[in-house]
Amino acid sequence: MWRTLLALLAVFGAALGLVVVTFSASAREERADLVFVNGTEPKTLDPQKMTGVPEGRLADAVFEGLTYRDNDSHRPLPGSAASWEVSPDGRRYTFHMRKEARWTDGTRVTARDFAWSWKRLQEPETASEYAYLLHCVRHAEAYNTFGAQVKALRGDPAARERPGQVGILGGFRALMGAGTAAVPAKDWQTFLTELAVRDTVVRTRERALVDAIDTTTGELGPDLLREVGAALERDAGRREAELADAKAHFGVDQGAFAPDDDTFVVELTAFVPYFLDLTSFHSALPAPRQAVEKNPESWFREPATCVSNGPFRLARWEVNKKIRLVKNHDYWGAREVALETVDALPIENSTTSLNLYLSGEADWLPATYPPDLIDQLKGRPDFKANPSAITYFFRINVTRKPFDDPRVRLALSKAIDRHLLVTKVTRKGETPATTIVPPMPGYAPPDSPMGYDPEGARKLLAEAGFPGGRGFPPFGVLYNKSEGHQKNAEFVADQLRRNLGVEAKAYVAEWQSYLRNQTQLDYDVCRAGWVADYRDPMTFLDLWITKGGNNNTGWGDPLYDRLIGLAGDPFALEAAADEVLPKLAEQDRTRVLLAALSAAKTPAERVSAAEPLRMQLFREAEGLLVKRGHPFIPIYYYVVTNLVSPRVEGFRTELVQPDGTRIPNLQDLHPLRDLRIRKD
Amino acid sequence: MRGLPVLRVLGGLALGFLAFLLARSGLGVPLALVLGAVVGAAGARFLPRMALSRVLWAIPLFLLLLFVAIQLMFLAPGDPFASEKNTSAAVREEQGKKYGTLDRSFVGGAVFFRRYVENLVADGYMGPAIKVEGRSVTELLLPALPVSLTLGLLSLVIATALGMTLGIRAGLKPGSLADGLGMGVSMIGVSLPSFVIGALLILVFSLKLGWLPVAGWGGFRHLILPAITLALPYAAYIARLARSGTIEVMTQDFVRTARAKGLAESEVVMKHAFKGAIVPVVSYLGPAAAQIMTGSFVVETLFGIPGMGQYFVKGAVNRDYYVVLGTMLLYSGFVILFNLLVDLAYAQLDPRVRERG
Repeated sequence: MWRTLLALLAVFGAALGLVVVTFSASAREERADLVFVNGTEPKTLDPQKMTGVPEGRLADAVFEGLTYRDNDSHRPLPGSAASWEVSPDGRRYTFHMRKEARWTDGTRVTARDFAWSWKRLQEPETASEYAYLLHCVRHAEAYNTFGAQVKALRGDPAARERPGQVGILGGFRALMGAGTAAVPAKDWQTFLTELAVRDTVVRTRERALVDAIDTTTGELGPDLLREVGAALERDAGRREAELADAKAHFGVDQGAFAPDDDTFVVELTAFVPYFLDLTSFHSALPAPRQAVEKNPESWFREPATCVSNGPFRLARWEVNKKIRLVKNHDYWGAREVALETVDALPIENSTTSLNLYLSGEADWLPATYPPDLIDQLKGRPDFKANPSAITYFFRINVTRKPFDDPRVRLALSKAIDRHLLVTKVTRKGETPATTIVPPMPGYAPPDSPMGYDPEGARKLLAEAGFPGGRGFPPFGVLYNKSEGHQKNAEFVADQLRRNLGVEAKAYVAEWQSYLRNQTQLDYDVCRAGWVADYRDPMTFLDLWITKGGNNNTGWGDPLYDRLIGLAGDPFALEAAADEVLPKLAEQDRTRVLLAALSAAKTPAERVSAAEPLRMQLFREAEGLLVKRGHPFIPIYYYVVTNLVSPRVEGFRTELVQPDGTRIPNLQDLHPLRDLRIRKD
Repeated sequence: MRGLPVLRVLGGLALGFLAFLLARSGLGVPLALVLGAVVGAAGARFLPRMALSRVLWAIPLFLLLLFVAIQLMFLAPGDPFASEKNTSAAVREEQGKKYGTLDRSFVGGAVFFRRYVENLVADGYMGPAIKVEGRSVTELLLPALPVSLTLGLLSLVIATALGMTLGIRAGLKPGSLADGLGMGVSMIGVSLPSFVIGALLILVFSLKLGWLPVAGWGGFRHLILPAITLALPYAAYIARLARSGTIEVMTQDFVRTARAKGLAESEVVMKHAFKGAIVPVVSYLGPAAAQIMTGSFVVETLFGIPGMGQYFVKGAVNRDYYVVLGTMLLYSGFVILFNLLVDLAYAQLDPRVRERG
């Protein structure tokens, strides 16, 4: 027996010895100039496929779009494009590429790279979650979504199940039968839901179809059915035609295309004043065609194959350990880049992250630290906080009784003491929110009745038929697993119990289940958040269009949809003035702005007159949301926090606008290009 | 000749096959085949029948585990492509098709199972990591495996050494100070959660004294604190086992006889107490080793170690089906292997067991 044990011990010892030797032998690596905690292991570095902030930070360093953000103001500066012209009506951008811009493999960065990448973004096979951001480009939406929609309408033999194989048109013909009998609304609605008709014919121009979809009672007579059938047919035909058009022209000679290596032309279908900001967003960054085509799944994983064009390039990627970037000395602006090496640590644990920062092993810690330590950390000089364009709110499921009554929804919102929450629970200095769009330069939000008013809340609830909360069914306040969310949800449930006398209970679901519950409308009240993709109210307001993909409340209002559509094309209001204006809350104000637009003669004047009109339309739309619809309970606007070592320079919590005004760094963007380490 | 020893032949084949599967990604098919043949033949000739029967049973066991795991996973709500930005059905369908996770019914699960086993046997491919684009499960787990094994090995050695010492000491003089102290420490080790122990160690040795790094992986210094943190709960439990084993053996008649015969006390201890202590510890070491080697999620996240533990948890949370299956296969493999080693060791330690072998 001794021999066996001795042998075992010897093996153990040898293994251990080997380990020690290997460890000591591994080269002692020099610390990078800047080390920061990136929050999680990045899923990908492919610009068209990424979705998260950690990925975005790296992509912004390693790739460069047509423009890059100025560090002090975040206004777009010439990046891969050296200059550009905008047509007077703001619908056509012509970019002239920078001649010295190079990929890390030495080849030129050309307009064709951008045409290819922007087309790739819209390619259905790329399955990009952010394709919608550039749907303002001509043909983009058709190219990206009409393929699937046409298949849904006409039927797809390759579909998994029979309804998909037969298609909506086929299903409709079956439903209609001989066409002599009426169809009960109930059957019609079942048909619409089972075949996901609403999603497929989204933004259809066929009136008959729109009206029919809204029919929930009674029945659809044979005449109406025939009209609907014809409308469906026309809609399918239109989508097919536009898809064919897009396939022929998008990226070729229309939409976003390159007539030659040096020129990149973008045609827009909507009025998008913030378009240049979009050109530095990660979905619009160029992907290296030469590398992607060789290795579509993993070109970005290894430094050798990760061809890039930005101020940094990938030096090493050790999964779950660290990602090292080094300065790209072939970058046209290399002179302006101060950092030589940057390490991104994929640490998720808040305690570990904080420890790394406190021990000096990391120089910058974006946000991840234990929330309970906020009071100790707040007082430190290296603790930087600023308001941001992120809203924390709770969704209300409008399809469930009694939440279908707007008075009930408003009562819920009025019952929450947000000031108490931000001073006693979250304590980061957040601003209580009564509207959904966070403070943004250029936008004046409407007055909101959603603020704390317990008396008013109780009155509304009584009016709705639940005096003192009596008779109100018990309901749940859903949140996803996280310390912070738990406290907020418990707080909200408690406030509702206290101030309204209703039985509200907070309950948790794990991330995946939580998302599912939200999208399938399987909740009563549910915690939510939304980060601005770009600095414009549209990113918060297009959430709430009827059946919008990110709506998830069941709420919809045709006037709201109309207003959001008009915000994308304010010039159309001129024709629709008589129809739309009387329905508005601030008719006079809008009328004045519209008159200014009509008075403007040159295209440039029209564009500058359209901007304030657009903001007013947003104000009207949000007014509908907060005064009439209230499908949510806004709680607060986030404060983003960063722990930054005093050695780091170039870190901005405040931005200076071109007109001199100062605004917070609302999107919390800190490009690595402009950070420096003080050497002392 | 009694005729073909069926068990040996089949066992040898199974062993060879498993060795081939394991070696194929590293060595390529022809070399792996040779290796498999050699290992299988050697095993058939030299290994005890119990070992061969275990190996043989392992294959249907893995298949059953895989099938059940797939069905259970598919039952869970959500899918790998859920995100806060509601992706369109078309996008999710594309992604589902790409990864073969579109049909999650019972039949779909059976199809998935068949495809998975085919890929595994034909190409040694364990599937793509859905949440980590461009990397296969093998590419993900392969670098993490030595990390967890190293950490696990060191922790196991520390735990066994510490636990045995404390336990035997305590067991030799039950009721004494050594006993009280030893068991007191062991109680703390078992009750304090690892993140508390770890955090305390970091606070003292990294933040206050600055002797050791706070987190990360890359040198021997990075190993020390996590290994101690990981080892302590196991050491505590081993101490208790060693103690009761020691007590039990020291009260036996043959020990009194040995003392009466005039054997030196130290010899009594070394020969008998040790033996008594190690028997319960060894049987615990089997499952403990499997657990410790596959990484501890808590210790890894606390110390920022790129080991395997996180894949177990994150894979499940993210519904990353292939990662879950990969880690499950690995863990089951370890459990079977270590339990087998334990049983073999038993046969050595306790002759009574050997008879039955």
